[in-house]
Amino acid sequence: MKNKIRDISVALVFLAWIFGFMIFGMILPDKDVSYSERRKLKTFPEIKRETLLDGSFMSDFEKYSADQFPLRESFRKIKSAGEFYIFRQSDSNGVYIHKGYLSGLEKDLDEESLDYAAGRIRFVYEKFLKDKASAVYLSIVPDKNYFLKDTGVPTLDYDRLVSIMREKDDFAEYIDIFPYLELADYYKTDTHWRIEKIGPAAKALAEGMGTTLAGNYEVKEVSALFYGVYSGQLALGSSDEKMYYITSPDIENATVYNAETGKNQGVYDFERADGQDPYEFYLSGPRSMMVIENKNAETDKELIIIRDSFGSSLAPHLIEAYKKITLLDIRYLPAPLLNRFADFEGRDVLFIYSTLILNSSETLT
Amino acid sequence: MVFSSIPFLFYFLPITLALYFLVPKFLKNLVLLIASLGFYAWGEPRFVVFMAIAIAQGYVLGLLIEKYRDKKPLKNLFTVLSCLISIGLLAYCKYTDFFIENFNALTGLSVKLLGVALPIGISFYTFQILSYTVDVARGSVNAQKNPISLGAYVAMFPQLIAGPIVRYSDIEKQLSDRRCTLEGFSRGTVRFVIGLAKKILIANQLGELINVFKDSSDKSVLFVWLYAVAYAVHIYFDFSGYSDMAIGLGRMLGFDFPENFNYPFISKSATEFWRRWHMTLGSWFRDYVYIPMGGNRVSKPRWYFNILVVWMLTGFWHGADWVFIFWGLFFAVLLVCEKTWYLKKLEKMKVLPHIYKILFVLISFVIFDSSGLLNGFKTVGSMFGLGGLPLISTEAVYQLKSYAVILVLGLLGSTPIVKNAVLKACENKACAAAVNVMEPIAILGLLALCTGYLVDGSFNPFLYFRF
Repeated sequence: MKNKIRDISVALVFLAWIFGFMIFGMILPDKDVSYSERRKLKTFPEIKRETLLDGSFMSDFEKYSADQFPLRESFRKIKSAGEFYIFRQSDSNGVYIHKGYLSGLEKDLDEESLDYAAGRIRFVYEKFLKDKASAVYLSIVPDKNYFLKDTGVPTLDYDRLVSIMREKDDFAEYIDIFPYLELADYYKTDTHWRIEKIGPAAKALAEGMGTTLAGNYEVKEVSALFYGVYSGQLALGSSDEKMYYITSPDIENATVYNAETGKNQGVYDFERADGQDPYEFYLSGPRSMMVIENKNAETDKELIIIRDSFGSSLAPHLIEAYKKITLLDIRYLPAPLLNRFADFEGRDVLFIYSTLILNSSETLT
Repeated sequence: MVFSSIPFLFYFLPITLALYFLVPKFLKNLVLLIASLGFYAWGEPRFVVFMAIAIAQGYVLGLLIEKYRDKKPLKNLFTVLSCLISIGLLAYCKYTDFFIENFNALTGLSVKLLGVALPIGISFYTFQILSYTVDVARGSVNAQKNPISLGAYVAMFPQLIAGPIVRYSDIEKQLSDRRCTLEGFSRGTVRFVIGLAKKILIANQLGELINVFKDSSDKSVLFVWLYAVAYAVHIYFDFSGYSDMAIGLGRMLGFDFPENFNYPFISKSATEFWRRWHMTLGSWFRDYVYIPMGGNRVSKPRWYFNILVVWMLTGFWHGADWVFIFWGLFFAVLLVCEKTWYLKKLEKMKVLPHIYKILFVLISFVIFDSSGLLNGFKTVGSMFGLGGLPLISTEAVYQLKSYAVILVLGLLGSTPIVKNAVLKACENKACAAAVNVMEPIAILGLLALCTGYLVDGSFNPFLYFRF
């Protein structure tokens, strides 16, 4: 009798599970986007004779069924919890946690990628800067793993990375900002650095480029909490990370031209703080070209920053020292056409890239 | 389609179970056949043709063999014809390019490769049909008169793509008369979910570690050993997990499939290992190749020859590559050495046989997983410090820590310790009652965890697909 109750329970649990989720999945409307993973979800694949015969319908349906599975976010949490708390794994989906900091494993130096990145930077130099009276600088932003390299986590060989970039782009004066950064300067749940923490690194850069920063800014809190890219990848839930911005008369009075929208805007994009990627709060996130003008500047110096997303929270620090800062992103602009967007003559030009982009540089044009 | 996938678990299986249990008894085999063909066609629609040919020839020639059982020349003719068609299909799909490549290498010619894609499960269902027609010829089973029943036997989705190799004689009676009971369904469910968990929670995770090792630029001797252990546990959990799922599904549907694994890693010798590993394949080769060749009741040289042939074929069955042939011959040499010199000594000793077992298991699977014999030898060499690698690397230590619990669970699950402990506990009434209460809860927990892993799109290959 006891075995019968057990058998009924087991059968009911199993049948309820497979039938329940099948029916639940059929009833629930499909979703378009996974905000936590920052990606579009698969929609039901088109049924065609060819796709049925070559099996592509089936493989697309498998992806669709995983993407549109009922309670998907909860199941993703179960998986992450299983990896960290049951199997005690050090990482989940390639993301590990160290003292509350989430970081993606980035361990194998891709020298081909470094060659390519260095080559694209050299291309811009040789095409637009070589014969001009422009000062050219190169700087590299370490990713969070750099500060965790002595904790047993496998990391990139940063010395080699820097050495390759310096050697291959030897036309540029290298400004080392590694000593001015620490783990606490980065978001716990994101790849990026925190604007209110990178004052020393910004000062070092400014000094390296022959200017100085007073750093007289005020730090203010953004009302929204910060949910970085890793929190979505891990699916482990909420973040209590606060988000700040810096402000000063120079920053408040600066005009920012967004070439993509063709409109002027502020340095900070308050609507985006609550969006899918809160880091887009700073200069509206990944934008091909932004021009910041500081009419109150006590100098006529102009700076062109050829950059990745780390540049978005660096530029506000530099506003006080330049009359005009042009930010160009050659992931979205074609490098051979940069002269259409900026005049390089006599400007300071800073190439600044994170180690993450340099080690996966295929997006550079 | 694989069992450890959302389309199978949450679409195919509920629909199939509903139809199977709703239709009257005489239609169950038809439902099983249609569902199985749908299951097979899901991954490889065009290869259903190969399976249809295999079933049709098995059906027609099986009837003819039985009809002319008393007329030896005709019986032999039809048996040989059936075997040739079965082996011919397998050889065409699986081995043609291997032979062309080697022919080209030997002659310097450049005969064009056919590029035939391997139909999933062909190695398994070919062996099932071979055993069916040979058994009909031997008179140990009757030919199946109902093509639907024979089709359901050959194409039966639980064991179609990765075994166990179910012989017709194993389920002859069940094909026409089987009982689906609550207990059978429940025990089948437990077996299925345990298999699912073995596959998703252990095998797939170790599969990720294996990929990390292969892609790593920070290899070390420790990392190579970690990879070797991980691969051995991975392949065991992958394959035995799939067998558990197949056996469990069979029980749900009223069938009793043969066991395929019996804790092979507790073996003390290669001889014992192969009595516990992929048992249905081993017994198939024994009954249909080794014994017909004379087995061990022949002269010693002939016996050695029989062993070499059987193990070369066993290796070759696993894949059309010299790696697999070498892998099979590696075991042939071990078995001959054991039987000739030290098997009895191994059986009496306690510690040494396990060290010996660990070495041959790890070395054999490293070679099995290699992309070429030379690479296999290099990796084996690296295990013993011959690759010029450092002893330890940061990544090896990191991955060892990261996968320690999974490896320990895997190694523990490779022994009967847990099973025996539960059985022992169940001798006590209170413990047995607690186990009964816990079982549905554990099933629910495992289902939730496995679903989480499937939904988050984790690594989910299936090794035995290529066979």
